[in-house]
Amino acid sequence: MTLSVAERVILFDLALVEIREHFRGAGLREVMTPVRLDAVALEPYIEPVRAEAGWLQTSPELPMKRLLCAGSGAIFQIAPVFRRAERGALHREEFRLVEWYRLGADFASLRRDAEAIVARVRAALAPIRGEPSRTLPWQTIAVLEVIERTCGLRLSGQEDAEGLERVVCSRRPDLWIAPPSGSGMDVQARALSAWTTWFSTWSDRCFDPWLASVPGRGVHLVEFPGSLAALAEVGPSVLCSTGGLVAHRFESYVDGVELVNGYRELRDADEQRQRFQAVAQLRGTLGLPELPFPETFLETLVAYPLPACVGAAMGLERLIMVACGERNLTAVLSE
Amino acid sequence: MDVSELRKNAKLEIDGHPFVVTEFNFVKPGKGQGLYKCRIKNMITGAVMERTWRSGERLTPANVESKKMQFLYATGDRFTFMDNQSYEQIELGEDVVGDDRQFLLDNLECEVLVYNDRPVGISLPSHVVMEIIAAEPGVKGDTATNVTKNATIQTGYTIQVPLFIKPGERIKIDTRTGEYIERVNS
Repeated sequence: MTLSVAERVILFDLALVEIREHFRGAGLREVMTPVRLDAVALEPYIEPVRAEAGWLQTSPELPMKRLLCAGSGAIFQIAPVFRRAERGALHREEFRLVEWYRLGADFASLRRDAEAIVARVRAALAPIRGEPSRTLPWQTIAVLEVIERTCGLRLSGQEDAEGLERVVCSRRPDLWIAPPSGSGMDVQARALSAWTTWFSTWSDRCFDPWLASVPGRGVHLVEFPGSLAALAEVGPSVLCSTGGLVAHRFESYVDGVELVNGYRELRDADEQRQRFQAVAQLRGTLGLPELPFPETFLETLVAYPLPACVGAAMGLERLIMVACGERNLTAVLSE
Repeated sequence: MDVSELRKNAKLEIDGHPFVVTEFNFVKPGKGQGLYKCRIKNMITGAVMERTWRSGERLTPANVESKKMQFLYATGDRFTFMDNQSYEQIELGEDVVGDDRQFLLDNLECEVLVYNDRPVGISLPSHVVMEIIAAEPGVKGDTATNVTKNATIQTGYTIQVPLFIKPGERIKIDTRTGEYIERVNS
């Protein structure tokens, strides 16, 4: 089914209404923050687009957290973001993130938000899709558990670069690709590099096929290994009885498409700086352009502590795409 | 070049061979490395294979260009072409022309692939028109469709054609499959 431009316009309008009604109903305020920033959150494999004086945001995370520090209360935003050289069936260099933060809320509330928004938008778009909206079943599973289930590896999630290589190579050497490594990288940066490379390989070869094996469901992938915490807080596992340390980060997938990434937000400025430094070391090894440190953000964290909060981001175009039962953004965008 | 510059139709040098990207798929798990999953075709042999590159990898662009040339004549197993722009004549061997020689008619316009200043292959128009010089007689009364017979074209190539085709007639041939397309009424 090919949609006309007029129908595509309606899709986006209907979806935006549903998203806004969901958050307003939950007491979140809609905000707008600058798109051009002095510095973006450092990520090993997300490249910002240069703007004349600064960078176009890769996510509205840092400016929104500064609002939270300043006492904004619970907020959401539908923001344009830019990531250089990402293009494909599920990627565009420019897209929109629905990003939201709840204060004093439990981490699982973000997953309920994601489920509610997906359900609302699917229901709203059902007439255009031309089929009745059936209920989407959701499953929550820990990263380490699904790794064991899909490739038989038992990982603790605490392994450093060498430890991870040892475990993977002992049983599944076919899944080991040497991670980027260099003399300028400390233990933390090497672990970040090893885990990121391994996670990408596993995701491509094991996790995506596992997701595809049971279509028509939503999956929340929770409790990430500490090295993949990004901007999430690390703490005892909730799902695992031994309570090992995990990153309180989750990702949600619908019909095999990654839709949401969420954190119990890291509030410790020193820890945050260390993580940015590890990313900067890895970026240096990869020969990527040097990016400025988000000093303003780090200073804000020190001066006006971030209140305890949880936050997540959802790709707007992908949401509309999966709600239409499509597998390629081309089906819903008006490019 | 950086792997992020990859796209469909990009030409790459891999192990000393020129390849063209025929399918391009970008996937990126979570905040992980981008994977560039491609199907690539060896521009000389036509062999197709799958390759996946990761963010941060470097690739070598292939120094290949496609030159419009006209086929002039064949002498034994040597084939002479003329560059449409420079009028320079080049001689290619059977190793470069390969099975395409079956469809090389004098004055045919084709593309010659030049890799590191060396002609390595030719590509013909997707179809050519050839004259039948010999054909088996059609068997009268056989009305079933999809029944074919052998026929020989100007270059000596034997092709399957429908029963109604007679010597002296001209037919259109798909150069990629070597198959009959239709009769050409002149």
